[in-house]
Amino acid sequence: MIAPSDVPSAAVLEVRHLSKRFGGLWALRDVSFSVGEGEIVGIIGPNGAGKSTLVNLITGHLRPTGGTVLISGRDVTGLHPWVIAHDRVARTFQIVKPFRGLTVRENVAIGAMHGNDRDGSVREALATADELLDLVGIAKHANAAPTQLSVADARRLELAKALATRPHLLLIDEVMAGLRNPEIESAVELIHRLRDSGITIVAVEHVMKAIVSVSDRILVLHHGSILAMGSPPEVLSDPRVIEAYLGRRYISRRSE
Amino acid sequence: MRPEPRPGPIAAILRGRGRTRRALLGDWIRVRTLANSWPALAGLAAFAAMLGLQQLIAPGTQRLLTAVFLFVALAQAWNIIGGYTGYASFGQVAFFGLGAYTVAVLMNNYHVSFWMALPAAVLVGVLFAVVIGVPLLRLRGHYFAIATLGAAEGAREVINNMTSVTGGGGGITIPTFGDQAPTPYFGKPGFYLAFLVLAALSVVVAASLARSRFGYAMVAVHEDEDAAGAVGINTTVVKVVAFGVSAAIVACAGAFYAFQQIEFYPTDVFDASFTVLMVIMVVIGGSGSVVGPLVGAVGLELLSQFLRVNLGSFNQLIFGAVIVLVVVFFPQGVVSYLRDAWRTRHFSVLDNVRRYRL
Repeated sequence: MIAPSDVPSAAVLEVRHLSKRFGGLWALRDVSFSVGEGEIVGIIGPNGAGKSTLVNLITGHLRPTGGTVLISGRDVTGLHPWVIAHDRVARTFQIVKPFRGLTVRENVAIGAMHGNDRDGSVREALATADELLDLVGIAKHANAAPTQLSVADARRLELAKALATRPHLLLIDEVMAGLRNPEIESAVELIHRLRDSGITIVAVEHVMKAIVSVSDRILVLHHGSILAMGSPPEVLSDPRVIEAYLGRRYISRRSE
Repeated sequence: MRPEPRPGPIAAILRGRGRTRRALLGDWIRVRTLANSWPALAGLAAFAAMLGLQQLIAPGTQRLLTAVFLFVALAQAWNIIGGYTGYASFGQVAFFGLGAYTVAVLMNNYHVSFWMALPAAVLVGVLFAVVIGVPLLRLRGHYFAIATLGAAEGAREVINNMTSVTGGGGGITIPTFGDQAPTPYFGKPGFYLAFLVLAALSVVVAASLARSRFGYAMVAVHEDEDAAGAVGINTTVVKVVAFGVSAAIVACAGAFYAFQQIEFYPTDVFDASFTVLMVIMVVIGGSGSVVGPLVGAVGLELLSQFLRVNLGSFNQLIFGAVIVLVVVFFPQGVVSYLRDAWRTRHFSVLDNVRRYRL
């Protein structure tokens, strides 16, 4: 059998006909798209649209019912999460998953000692963790327990943990949900800085304003399928998107 | 479409350090100070003190301390898989029994020296751990506990029924006298030394694992396997290796125990109460640290021996009551309680009970 994955691909991430069924429910159905190097792609959609499922399928935390996932041209469909992590793919979790028994610094250091180009010693990994905590702005909580962090800081910790694995592709799952405006602004600024240093970013978001300002392209999921894809202005003016995602109320308010 | 990645602090972090092993070793030596080496020095001092103590005490007391050393090793071993990695095995006694029977069968049936049989026993223990670990470590929580319990019962029954090799339920005897003995019997002083070294080694293994990258991987697996996988940790390998290291220590202990006992039955070395004691000692001392199981093992074994000598038939009842009380008042383990209390200068036991109540 010749898999479609045998065709080389220049994209950092390519998803082909990806589907996932939970019992009788198709959480994701025939989704195809690709992300080029250095792009920031936003994925939006209402609750239950399949956004987190898509991330979980890409990172190996779920096995697809059908379709393929390619990372820099390599077929990684159905591989274990740690194998995909070593293909330089990192992610955050929508529901934050800190290692509760460890300090904030140690949480981040784990990625630096088990990810890519990993640090040879625990001590070096802890030094890397300090640099990353400084970058995301929670250096003052380095010795705290992760459970003591605020919602915003807990999401920053998720980001630092993912960055510690030294990824080329970063999937962020609702890293801005529940944040206040100034916090969103600093998150957006950080995402731009990450891209400028060479990381390709796929951002799943619920916060419309934030996603529009960071993304080069936006992909809209609805009932597990792609409803629209394109630049933020294109997508936002697409009547199907307005209907499905923003709702009629938004249209009527705009036309007032 | 976009400019080349700009060199900057983020890019530098993402490039990694790329240090050589020699540079790392040099670093490690340079950062050694009295302040960060005191646990190792304290351990060394304790080891030396125990060596010196042997010259001062009666053989009966030596025998008592030998049992304490045995349980220190067993508790440290259980803590590696049950404490750090978070997989509460209720079948660790299987490795103890297999280690014991490997030594006995090799020495009795094939006249192999103890020192040749010992590594074989460790190997058998590790192999069995890998064989049952690969499928069973996919189970979580209670299911893993029950499955390991079953595996240990199964191992005992197999040994029990291999009558032609193991002597079955009739037991097995290791020849220890004259020309019949492949290795001369150690005697009480010899076994004191052997179990002391075993206990010390188990502490060293646990402590070095805990501070290593692998140690952090075990804790990550314990806390959240999805998150551990996402940062590049091969959770299957971590679980199986932790189970294997634990099994190696337990099998080694079983091997020495067999030689010490000379004669034993499957029900002796596959006695589930060994597993139960390992669990209780770790939980009472405080799991997920090196000192916790050490304190738990020493404390409980000394207490149990004291009660047996002084209370007669009531000793088990009182021993059980003490365990219940400690678990009620210090659910996180005595050592963890003391550490937290010292750190926060808050010693109220009642507050501690409230904090950990479900």
